[in-house]
Amino acid sequence: MSLLSLAGVSKAYAGVPALRAVSLAIAPGEIHALMGENGAGKSTLIRILAGVVAADAADIAIDGRPVTIDRPGDAFAHGLRFFHQELNVVPTLSVAENIFLGRAYPRRLGGLIDWNRLADAARQALARLGISHIDPRTKMARLGVGDRMLVSISAAFLDSGAGTARLYVMDEPTAALTGEEAERLFAALREIRKAGRSVLYVSHRLDEVTRLCDRVTVLRDGGVIATKAMAETSQDDIILMMIGRRVDEAYPPPLAAAGNEIALAVRDLEGDGLAPVSFDLRKGEIVGIAGLAGAGQSEVLRLLAGADRAHRGRVRLGASDGPPPTSTAAWQSGIAYVPRERRSEGLILTRPISDNITLPHLAQFSRGGVFLARRQELAAVRASGEDVRLRARGPRQLCRELSGGNQQKVVFAKALSGRPAVLLLDEPTRGVDVGAKFDIYALIREWSAEGMAVLIASSDFPELLGMCGRILVMRGGALATVLDAKGLSEEGLLGHCYGRSGESTTARAAAG
Amino acid sequence: MATLLRRYGTLIGFAAILIFFSVSLPDTFMTARNWLNISQQVSMLTVVAAAMTIVMAMGDFDLSVGSMASLAGVVAATLFVLGYPVWAAVAIALLVGLAGGAVNGVLVSVIGILPFIATLATLTVYSGAAFLISSGKTIFGRDIPRAFSDFARDGIPLGTIADQPLRLPYLTILALAVVALVWVLLEQTTFGRRLYAIGGNREAARLSGVRIKSLRLVAFALTGFGAAVAGLMYASRVASANPTQGSGLMLNAIAAVFLGMTMSEEGEPRVHATLIGVLVLGALDNGLTQMSVDSYVRDILVGVIIIAAVASSSLWKRFR
Repeated sequence: MSLLSLAGVSKAYAGVPALRAVSLAIAPGEIHALMGENGAGKSTLIRILAGVVAADAADIAIDGRPVTIDRPGDAFAHGLRFFHQELNVVPTLSVAENIFLGRAYPRRLGGLIDWNRLADAARQALARLGISHIDPRTKMARLGVGDRMLVSISAAFLDSGAGTARLYVMDEPTAALTGEEAERLFAALREIRKAGRSVLYVSHRLDEVTRLCDRVTVLRDGGVIATKAMAETSQDDIILMMIGRRVDEAYPPPLAAAGNEIALAVRDLEGDGLAPVSFDLRKGEIVGIAGLAGAGQSEVLRLLAGADRAHRGRVRLGASDGPPPTSTAAWQSGIAYVPRERRSEGLILTRPISDNITLPHLAQFSRGGVFLARRQELAAVRASGEDVRLRARGPRQLCRELSGGNQQKVVFAKALSGRPAVLLLDEPTRGVDVGAKFDIYALIREWSAEGMAVLIASSDFPELLGMCGRILVMRGGALATVLDAKGLSEEGLLGHCYGRSGESTTARAAAG
Repeated sequence: MATLLRRYGTLIGFAAILIFFSVSLPDTFMTARNWLNISQQVSMLTVVAAAMTIVMAMGDFDLSVGSMASLAGVVAATLFVLGYPVWAAVAIALLVGLAGGAVNGVLVSVIGILPFIATLATLTVYSGAAFLISSGKTIFGRDIPRAFSDFARDGIPLGTIADQPLRLPYLTILALAVVALVWVLLEQTTFGRRLYAIGGNREAARLSGVRIKSLRLVAFALTGFGAAVAGLMYASRVASANPTQGSGLMLNAIAAVFLGMTMSEEGEPRVHATLIGVLVLGALDNGLTQMSVDSYVRDILVGVIIIAAVASSSLWKRFR
């Protein structure tokens, strides 16, 4: 019997169907992937399960018994737990306190909290999911996103009896995790499966899904395309089901060879957490930055973009040669930046698409730098919207209302509309669906063919290997080595990130 | 229906207030004379609220506008006593406003103190300065030149009704001019666009090359300047200056901006919406006074209206 079964789940927003009679069954002890492009209906389905959104029609059964989920409390009572990037943790409390939040703390004489026993109990709770590297006495705030997620999952795993957490719904859990953190998460999820509990796993990352999950359900345009056992399908099949067409080449080929003219020369660039770094970027070249999480990839971009202040260093761009620029100066000199966090750093969600795109270039769309030239602005926004194949109602639509992929396209349009000489990209396709990803890659190729130099920091190694000519490898806040991407394997690149070489050690690194 | 209420709730409430007073006060409320009167009564508030809208567009507050208005009035009056010509005294008082606002800007943007704390501190500083300069007394009578106080009593003749001359007060014209200026500034210039960008997401604005520090400083300076303008209008209207006369302006100005914010879908302060907020407060004040309702009751009502407006709009989401 299915742990959870859904049948005929339908939902329309203002007459536009978001889900059409979706059926889904999750067996006990299974990790079930839910895939689909942005806007396919995954989020709506999860929100209905969570009791946040009311379905127009839905038959939901748990253990074969029909139930209704009208409020988040119902979902919780039925044993559903939801994990996403913004976890409900108390950063100022310790790991142990967070795990036992809302539960009885162990007491000792006189009703005082027995901190030692609390720490031990927390350690055991973590150990049940094979987690041993987290000290229960650490403050939650000091943990990374991955570890926080592990703590939250462990806490949910503690529940027993009537309120047992039986289905863990994970929404893009690895979006902000390093490879190592993701591996730990997968190990924990496998423990959950071993205990007969289930996971509904939503992700855009095909590699993860094929490695981790038992079955996959693909949504497209609000309907279920198919549910298949992972062993009976392939990554290509899943892509085909998701987008309805085959993407033969995930990475478009280079349109032209990079020239020899230097676009950007960086010398002794040093900042917080970054030892002096020097490198050149040629016109028309696409260069990647790889490394483990926090190895300094983002810092290089942030210093060049003026997001953080450099301690020292020189940056030469065309005729200008001087210390690393401020953010304002960077945009003016032709350095465009696509930051890591789309929603908190890249976009003003409550403002229209047009305002976002022209914000760094407002002076160009003004009379005398003072009064807005709206007609000019709208024309430019329409043009750059077309350039990035943005799908929106119009330039005045609010960014908040766009899907993740389209939001990222707005950030790209903002970066590109100033015709920059250098484009800095930090995790450019994170949380972006396959179709939009392909558009973005094609766009990067096109612009680099026109002479733009591109620097990409990404934790998605296939992306770096597929797009870049050279890859800078960062280790512990310093530039460790520069690799030619040609002939380099994912394992090889990871080995360099760990600072090891040779087959056996890279294999261990990949697993570890 | 619910979304309609959410979007237009404040306007519907405003209409309800107008209808209520029109029915209760059939002869005196909905008359040209009364509305010209209201427009003059709220002219100071209009200027302060418009100025407040500038900093609130960035998501900031300025609590010191009331005491700045008092200070500007006291400075001008003191200079009158010392024999300065009207234009010089007015110019210096306005400069004091600009400087006081700039001090707020420095505290908030350069030093990085939360606007709530920084402007709460300068509120007491400017208020103390006003007491110090005036020795705590009201400056009035012959010390205030006619040229200064006549401005508030005069206006553009609009003809006569029932043998009484009807004038469009200069104070009203000045307030509308300030609203128009702020509207152009916020809606039609790169400066305003950048302020709203800062208000929407400061970090994203910074990473898009927006100069946060200098813009915040300038915005606070402008708000201080607006407060000083209102202070001078007040002093002119009552032909006197004392160190507490502006103190009621701050809360009402913030209330007016809030009421305006409930009318925009994104909960952004817009100066034309602020103007409607001011009119709601002004109509309420005027009507209740005519019905001889205790002014304390009016305070309670204003508070209730703000809560109702904010609760029925989607504004609360912004501050959740």
